[in-house]
Amino acid sequence: MNGRPEQFSAEPNELLVERLRDGLGLTGTKVGCDTGQCGTCVVRLDGRSVKSCLILTASAAGSRVTTIEGVTERGGELTGLQEALRQEHGTQCGFCTPGMVMALGELVENTADREAPTEPEIREWLTGNLCRCTGYHSVVRGVQRACSAARAEIPEEISEGAAVTASAASAASASASASGKEV
Amino acid sequence: MTAVTGEVPLQGSGLLGQPLDAREDPQLLRGEAKYVADIDLPGTAHMAILGSPVAHAKILSIETKAAEQMPGVLKVATAADFTDVMPLPCIWIPGGVESHFPPHPYGLPGARPVLTGDAVRHVGDPIAVVVAETPRQAAAALAAIAVEYEPLPVVTRADDALAEGAPQLHEAVPGNLNAYWTCGDKDRTEAALAEAEVTVELDLVNQRTINSPIEPRGAVGDYNAATDEYTLYASTQGPHNHRFLLAALVLGIPFNKLRVIAPTVGGSFGTKGYLYPDMALVLLLSKALRRPVKWVDTRTGLMNSTVQGRDHRQHVVLAGTRDGRMTGLWATSYANLGAYPSTIGPGVATALMGRSISGMYDIPAAFCEVYAAFTNTVSLGAQRGSGRAEAAFLMERLVDRYASEIGMDPAAVRRMNLVPKEKFPYDNGLGWTYDSGDYQLNFDKAMELSGYADMPARKAEARTRGKRLGVGLATYVAICGVGPSTRMSKEGMLGGTWESANIRVHPTGEVTVTVGSASTGQSHHTVFAQVAADELGIDPALVQVYEGDTLKAPYGQGTYGSRSYSMAAPAVALTARKIKAKLVKAGAVFLGVPEEKVVYAGGKVYEEGNEENTKTFAELAMAMWYGWGLPHEIEPAIDETTHFDPPDFNYPFGTHVAVVEVDELTGETEVVAYTAVDDAGNIGNPKIVLGQIEGSITHGLGQALMEAAVYDEQGLLVSSDLTKYALPRAADVPFFTLDKTTTPSPHNPLGAKGAGEIATVPPAAAVVNAVVDALSDLGVQHIDMPLTPEKVWRRLRGEAE
Ligand code: FES
Ligand code: FES
Repeated sequence: MNGRPEQFSAEPNELLVERLRDGLGLTGTKVGCDTGQCGTCVVRLDGRSVKSCLILTASAAGSRVTTIEGVTERGGELTGLQEALRQEHGTQCGFCTPGMVMALGELVENTADREAPTEPEIREWLTGNLCRCTGYHSVVRGVQRACSAARAEIPEEISEGAAVTASAASAASASASASGKEV
Repeated sequence: MTAVTGEVPLQGSGLLGQPLDAREDPQLLRGEAKYVADIDLPGTAHMAILGSPVAHAKILSIETKAAEQMPGVLKVATAADFTDVMPLPCIWIPGGVESHFPPHPYGLPGARPVLTGDAVRHVGDPIAVVVAETPRQAAAALAAIAVEYEPLPVVTRADDALAEGAPQLHEAVPGNLNAYWTCGDKDRTEAALAEAEVTVELDLVNQRTINSPIEPRGAVGDYNAATDEYTLYASTQGPHNHRFLLAALVLGIPFNKLRVIAPTVGGSFGTKGYLYPDMALVLLLSKALRRPVKWVDTRTGLMNSTVQGRDHRQHVVLAGTRDGRMTGLWATSYANLGAYPSTIGPGVATALMGRSISGMYDIPAAFCEVYAAFTNTVSLGAQRGSGRAEAAFLMERLVDRYASEIGMDPAAVRRMNLVPKEKFPYDNGLGWTYDSGDYQLNFDKAMELSGYADMPARKAEARTRGKRLGVGLATYVAICGVGPSTRMSKEGMLGGTWESANIRVHPTGEVTVTVGSASTGQSHHTVFAQVAADELGIDPALVQVYEGDTLKAPYGQGTYGSRSYSMAAPAVALTARKIKAKLVKAGAVFLGVPEEKVVYAGGKVYEEGNEENTKTFAELAMAMWYGWGLPHEIEPAIDETTHFDPPDFNYPFGTHVAVVEVDELTGETEVVAYTAVDDAGNIGNPKIVLGQIEGSITHGLGQALMEAAVYDEQGLLVSSDLTKYALPRAADVPFFTLDKTTTPSPHNPLGAKGAGEIATVPPAAAVVNAVVDALSDLGVQHIDMPLTPEKVWRRLRGEAE
């Protein structure tokens, strides 16, 4: 869990989002719906973004889980994606934001080895996350900015990234290197 | 820049108008902000609400024994437990010809009980509550409460509710008619319609929609038995307002014993300004149990309990000449208020819509009548652009219908009828007096930017791809800056609608600004700091903003109707001006020169003509803190407050152009281009306003294309979660082409006009106009929203709706 082992027993029907928020106090992950539609609860499970309201805690046993708290330290320096979203004001009320950061983080990492994702690709990737405030425009601009900044700044890592994003497990390690922390 | 008469003219340092980054954003991006669901007080118990599963029934009995025995259950309560609690009042009752409301003990004309005991009137109507150790235990115990119902007939449409023999909702409201309200000149309008060369008519359904902030509502009540004080944490957009309503009008406790705190709020768009039963219940149960009590809504719960929006059925008529001059406008509207009058719902459905119907046009005779009815649906309230969006929709649909009738270009008809610049202030004959505007400039800019002249060529090109391209225009005026308290009282509002701000300068030169409004995502901390820093000529980094806690913040009515920047920000600016005036007086003492020779500029005072003789803001702050050498008539320290009540509203406006492509085969509508030119007066922070405009347009497109609260014949809300209620997603919208014109309002010292929600007002009309344009050669004159592919596909095949 965010790079630290956590041991506990869970009821068979306990949802991962309940464990995160109520059990572990990781309230950065939000609950916006009851139906897996809004994406405010997205976390990364072995590097892949998943809706934690649709996952049983038990089924996540043995996996690496990253929540928004595992992306940046409290008050810490923002990642490239977060910084780009900040510059584009990709957040208003902020309720959708942690889920967006988690989901978009996967997109940014998975496309690091190729041309920047196109606008339709970004919009398509975002269909799992609802935002009522921004209309998504500033979020899409934020991702575009993040991708172009990433390409401008770390050209060597792009080709390395190509080799490691093939499997879920290596995507997780790509995520670790992107955020500079152990997952 | 026009200044309010008698005020110090704007002397800002140039910070206003700059796109400063929102200082709220980093903590939001790191997931650190605390929303109400994240508040975890020690010893918290959890509340769940039993909502009615049926839309209309008499309650014969409620059996709670089994629920009380369930694991972890601490308390089960029904209406019988709260007989000494007053019902939730409605505080905006527009003066109409007739109005009937369920009574409130204080003689207020509208009310709903905290829990219903006699009958249920909509699905979700709260009947009982359970408090348990965990949320799961509370939810589980709800299932063990047995309620016996005697079913009653159901009505879900306003016009049906007013028909002879319709099911009755409230004994005190015969015929379900909550209010009959009118504005404008009936006789003149009737005459204009009778004499007109051309009249066109439309029957419109402005469908009910659900605002859907992504954060559901929530509340935590914390009663302190030692001090007999109550604290309420709630996702509210008006903490002071809720404090007033709850303490004085519902709980009947001393005002100074209730503290309301709005933590970070995850969007609202109108819905979180309303008083809901849960807010009172968590406080009452916290007192009963001597523990904090927390309640967090689910999405389905939100859809069945949080106020819904729009919902008018209308017959509208426009009269004009053959050559395009509009001469008369008539609107008859049946508004669906739902089961109970919400806090301000009746005002939204009547005045906020009716007085806006003629929009940017100079129409000599206009009249609007609204029949506001009770039905077995969730209560009606505000929704981003509320009232004004409904008005723009009917007007802009009518203009297109009229243009097609007389064979004129819709843009030409619009341009010809815009209120001319020299007519401001302009009395629209419906009760509003528009403050300022240059509508022609705004309109022309939108036409140019959208490439309106090239549309015929684009239509032809689209046909070669199996697409029908349509273009739709919509203009609007949105009344904002609610508002002048006296004016609002005449409009039927119970309570003042001013805003206040306090600025405290600390001895070390940092500044704290506190305001009565409370953000639901509008970056107040950034913008109010910007306003204060601009006025005082200091670095915004020195300014900290607080709001949302009634114990700490000066009074204010909250964030609604796009009023923060034209109501709370002026209060900040005026307070800063008081401080500057005081520092000029004190500066005379410190600099040893007469007051007339003291200049305040660039964050310091200095002697006119001798800038060496100066004191910086920080030096002044310290000197005022010590207070040494101040003459008796100058108080030490720097701490000022202003209550701002403007002379009148402000009226932003704009022109939007939607370009759609309708797929011939599937009936799918794609918005391929969208141009908006809005005028919100002087803008404080364009980066933040840009985000609000983009979000607002997207919201409006949602109503046009996909959103609808659908009730079945039994009154069940079919679209009760996000699998059945469609919200626009990222792939549903293109980037927009945006620009602005700037006409300062004379009604506040910043020249500001409302901005937050204004761009939600015209998109629905623009898109429907565009789709009707795309289908016009098939004889289509109107399609009701939402424009689902199926509906459009049927029209493409020549079928009726
Ligand atoms: S809370 Fe998980 S998708 Fe909405
Ligand atoms: S920022 Fe409010 S929902 Fe996205």
